[in-house]
Amino acid sequence: MIALSTAALAFVLRGWLAPILALIVVGATVARAGLGRAFLPFVLATLPLLISIVLIDVFLYPGATDTIMVIGPLRATGTGLTIAGQASLRIVAFALSVAVFALTTPTDDLLADLERRGMGRRATFIIGAAIQTIPRLAARAGEVADSQRARGLNTEGSVWRRVRGVVPLVGPMISGALSEVEERTLALEARAFSAPARRALLRPMPDDAAQRAGRWLLGLATIVLIVATISGHLALP
Amino acid sequence: MIEVRGLVHVYPDGTRAVDGVHLRIGDGEQIAIIGQNGSGKSTLVRHFNGLLRPTLGDVLIDGQLTAGLRVAALAANVGLAFQDPDRQIFAGQVRTEVAFGPHNLGLRSAALETAVTKALDAVGLTEQGERNPYDLGFSNRKLLALASILAMGTPTVVLDEPTTGQDLRGVERVRRIVADLAAAGRTVVAISHDMRFVAEAFPRVVVMRAGRVILDGTPGEVFAEANWGALAGTYVEPQLASRVGVRLGLGSTPTDAALIEALVKRPG
Ligand SMILES: Nc1ncnc2c1ncn2[C@@H]1O[C@H](COP(=O)(O)OP(=O)(O)OP(=O)(O)O)[C@@H](O)[C@H]1O
Ligand SMILES: [Mg+2]
Repeated sequence: MIALSTAALAFVLRGWLAPILALIVVGATVARAGLGRAFLPFVLATLPLLISIVLIDVFLYPGATDTIMVIGPLRATGTGLTIAGQASLRIVAFALSVAVFALTTPTDDLLADLERRGMGRRATFIIGAAIQTIPRLAARAGEVADSQRARGLNTEGSVWRRVRGVVPLVGPMISGALSEVEERTLALEARAFSAPARRALLRPMPDDAAQRAGRWLLGLATIVLIVATISGHLALP
Repeated sequence: MIEVRGLVHVYPDGTRAVDGVHLRIGDGEQIAIIGQNGSGKSTLVRHFNGLLRPTLGDVLIDGQLTAGLRVAALAANVGLAFQDPDRQIFAGQVRTEVAFGPHNLGLRSAALETAVTKALDAVGLTEQGERNPYDLGFSNRKLLALASILAMGTPTVVLDEPTTGQDLRGVERVRRIVADLAAAGRTVVAISHDMRFVAEAFPRVVVMRAGRVILDGTPGEVFAEANWGALAGTYVEPQLASRVGVRLGLGSTPTDAALIEALVKRPG
């Protein structure tokens, strides 16, 4: 919940302050939960995106005139640099917030919680299925790629070659995912998924007053800020 | 010739799937690999075309280490049909699917058409050539996946559970394909849980348990009474004919005719 709020905040707010605050919250959560190592890949994963943002904004920000450096035909501008810094911070804060959420919230907890809060079980199932599908899709993609390489598909070499190489991978991925959904639906119905009774949750959820208060506060702040941004009280640059 | 020396494969999660395998498969041999679920059969054969790399040990194809070779290069030597056809089939048309492998290996125009037609003939899908693979049933998709490996014309063909989901006619078809490959002098390695298919179609059987080879010999040797304990240890039960044959003194691989004859002649 905290993580989701910071993600939303980082995305909505511009300027320097908000993303930095969000990053601090994220950092504190990571430290408290002892996630350091698991977290590193996510940090690295944002790098390519960051580099491209910085390059594009610094050199190509439209309308900026305060040149600070010239490299060949390219002009680096101060405005661009500021924008790039802010955009990068926002992206990092957003991505890392989502990562914290993924790392700290076991799917089961999330789903049980959603259902306890009165969300319909269909909606709960859809969210759960969507989350669980990701690692399965990844495993499937590996196997599909293997079976095409075994038939001589060359995945190395020129860009064009690699792009063409993707085509034989897409079909089995999608059709497999679809047929899996159909099978799961049938299996669920066979186990009385749509029976009208309310279900008892098998796992109690730890939740104390402080946690609740913190959550409410952050949630409230998020909503206020989003509304303010949308209604124009907080200017977008 | 495939040579496996002291092969160990440990998956990233720590599973020791292959744990010290030595194996030598000569040119033109047909061998079946059997053993319980999870004994490492699929993991072992994926080393033959470089899809998996040894954690320890070596795999050599025709005397050449696979270590330095790319999968796309090894694919010209070893064709591998996967257990699950739905992770392979991508084309909108049966013929296109079968043509994918040989096209990647450089076959074009008439030669390509011939290879595709021959492979479809072998699995009995000639009539289905223009159809969408997903309109075929599971057993036919499995045969289609097999055809798309056959069409590559590789010297070695590896089949991961080719008879799963096949009825009697399908099993017979696979058996004939193995026989045809044998007659053409090509090497066949097949993983199977179908003991009858194994005993009747392969002159050599390799039994795996917990990542190791525990038995290796002709079906007659492997299914002999002395090994029944070891086979049970990897959840393999010799086919009924073997067990009855041994009891009747006909050996562990009797022909159906000899078996029936002996049973009819048995007093009271
Ligand atoms: N990608 C993977 N990552 C981790 N472990 C794996 C992976 N693939 C297989 N294993 C594990 O390695 C062991 C051997 O698996 P393998 O698929 O080689 O067995 P198998 O003999 O082919 O079994 P089956 O008869 O069920 O096909 C099993 O314990 C399996 O769970
Ligand atoms: Mg297997």
